[in-house]
Amino acid sequence: MSGKKENSMLEIKGLCASVEGTTILRGIDLDVKAGEVHAIMGPNGSGKSTLANVLAGREDYSVDAGTVQYNGIDLLELSADERACEGIFLAFQYPVSIPGISNAYFLRTALNAVRRYRDESEVDPVDFLELVRSKMDLVGMDEKLLHRAVNDGFSGGEKKRNEILQMAVLDPKLAILDETDSGLDIDALRIVAEGVNALRKEERSIVVVTHYQRLLDYIVPDHVHVLSDGKIARSGDKSLALELEKEGYSWLQADDAKAGNNA
Amino acid sequence: MVAKTWTEQVHTSSLKFDDQGAGLKRRREHALEQFMSDGFPSRKHEEWRYTPLSRLAEGPCSPLLEPSEGIPESSDLPIEMMAKVVLLNGEFRQDLSDLSALPPAVRIQSLNQMRRTDPDQLASLLDQFLPQTSHPFHHLSDALLDDGVHIEVVEEGAKIESPIHILHIIDGQAHSGSAHVTGLIQVATGAHLDVIEEIRSTGEVLGNLRWGIGLDPQATLKRVRAFRPECASIFHGTRVVQQQGSRFDDLFSSSGGELIRNELHVIHEGTGCHCELLGAYVGRGKEHLDHHTTIDHKVEDCTSREVYRGVLSDRARGVFSGMIHVHQDAQRTDAKQSNDTILLSDTAEANTRPRLEIYADDVKCTHGATIGELDENAIFYLRSRGVSVDEARKIMVRAFTSEVFVQMEDRQLSDFIVNEIQESIQAVEVDHG
Ligand SMILES: Nc1ncnc2c1ncn2[C@@H]1O[C@H](COP(=O)(O)OP(=O)(O)OP(=O)(O)O)[C@@H](O)[C@H]1O
Ligand SMILES: [Mg+2]
Repeated sequence: MSGKKENSMLEIKGLCASVEGTTILRGIDLDVKAGEVHAIMGPNGSGKSTLANVLAGREDYSVDAGTVQYNGIDLLELSADERACEGIFLAFQYPVSIPGISNAYFLRTALNAVRRYRDESEVDPVDFLELVRSKMDLVGMDEKLLHRAVNDGFSGGEKKRNEILQMAVLDPKLAILDETDSGLDIDALRIVAEGVNALRKEERSIVVVTHYQRLLDYIVPDHVHVLSDGKIARSGDKSLALELEKEGYSWLQADDAKAGNNA
Repeated sequence: MVAKTWTEQVHTSSLKFDDQGAGLKRRREHALEQFMSDGFPSRKHEEWRYTPLSRLAEGPCSPLLEPSEGIPESSDLPIEMMAKVVLLNGEFRQDLSDLSALPPAVRIQSLNQMRRTDPDQLASLLDQFLPQTSHPFHHLSDALLDDGVHIEVVEEGAKIESPIHILHIIDGQAHSGSAHVTGLIQVATGAHLDVIEEIRSTGEVLGNLRWGIGLDPQATLKRVRAFRPECASIFHGTRVVQQQGSRFDDLFSSSGGELIRNELHVIHEGTGCHCELLGAYVGRGKEHLDHHTTIDHKVEDCTSREVYRGVLSDRARGVFSGMIHVHQDAQRTDAKQSNDTILLSDTAEANTRPRLEIYADDVKCTHGATIGELDENAIFYLRSRGVSVDEARKIMVRAFTSEVFVQMEDRQLSDFIVNEIQESIQAVEVDHG
């Protein structure tokens, strides 16, 4: 990609995290520079969503060691909502439904919270509707979904599009997309990926967690990492994803065995 | 100074009333006698097990509130109204009310006036819609009957477009005391009426409000009740008799009372009736919010749906006791009831008691009750979008309560009640658990 900057957007060093006493992340190092797209792949249960949630500030996980710098600030000092206001966005692997709250209300509340944090005035309802409509076009979402309760009864694909709609409205600096491609049909995958690509820009970094090369055909990553058992087992460029597609993850065990880590 | 006991006080007050007709006289005497002998029930009484009446029974509210001098601030609702009825300390105040736009299809009269001009008719209406019972607050309202309101849609098939606003103002700023109001609503065959009832209060007061409602065949009544009385004790009782094919919708929201007891008794006398009892309540501090409903399915092919939801913080307590009585002849009854509560603190408490008595064999009755906490996943979802934890919790409380009303077709009325709830949520201290 052109326009890479030397400054890191996100710098993770030796990150270890656990949940209810079980260690899941065992020393993650990752350096994401502004404008870059990183893909994180890896077997089920290897800790990808855990990493994404720890970065978003979920309090169920405890960070046991390591540091995370985000645009020069100590990310781990911030609460989940402060992180969002500072420009971090997590597209959930399993978006949550909230019966009783309309999607439009949810979006407007979120946008206003972020704007207040930035000392900007609350968005005018008419301007808001205009903004949302243009972003809904981008992700090919039906306007009816705006007036339904948040993700309530949404199909799998509608939920994923809704995540990208939220991302487009909130305009984050760092977007972490956790398996946004799973549950999407082939056309929806293309539309959502095009939506994400349209949001790619020099000052915005994107981390995509995915199991499939297919998404990376559309959203071409600068770096690909394989997470295994809470550690980054390999990093490479986009060709690594192609290699994984052919060979799967069996080599991980071979590596482990070689390193005598199997015990 | 020790407050006068209720029995002394009620006795003196009751004897001051001069009744014209024998019917009214008999009701008053009977009620007074009953109250003198029974007083307030103790916690041993099944129906009153969870209702803390001891503070009230000590008597600070036993004197009747004097007519208030202060003109209360007008609270104009964001909805166009057909008429406004203001009851200030129990007195129907023509000067504060506005009946100028009332169409001829609707009649509104003060009970005080009826007591003087039409006592026999009033007595027979009361006997029909509010027969005397063994209920302490009914005794009080009968023994102290002074004023109230009679609302009647007289023209068959009349669809009254905008609601009638009933505002109770109970002003105990100068002295504490009680106000007793009796209301009657009748809707003619095929006619429709909307009513919004509000309570505002100041000081330590008891508001004892009691309604008798009669719906003729195919009549529909939608009533919205928004109670934010601030530190008052409110007893609110309603008895509804529904004739064939009629429909009663009741939307209720309450918060901010020291003690609110909401009683509803719906009787389906004609076939094909429907009633919809929806309620949401938000309690904080040491508030006590008490709901007792009885639906009598007396005849066949009637349906009822009841959804009550509460959110309780601090040391607040919520009670729900819902009886569905399906009589022997009430075949093909379809009755649904649910009561869900969210507790925001360890010290809040909910008691829920669904009761079904079914004597017919071909019926569908379902009931469910849950007590839980706010969905932490949803709160994290909101926070991950920039919403602070306090706001996220308030949004979840709003979501939980307003969901009761989302199925309503009338957006205007449901938006009104959702906003009322929203106002009370702003005041709730959300415990971080
Ligand atoms: N709250 C929790 N309690 C207990 N175990 C958990 C919790 N959250 C995650 N784990 C465990 O941590 C491990 C990593 O989970 P994680 O969701 O991060 O995996 P993943 O790489 O995202 O997997 P997938 O590809 O299936 O989405 C799993 O073994 C999971 O069971
Ligand atoms: Mg995952």
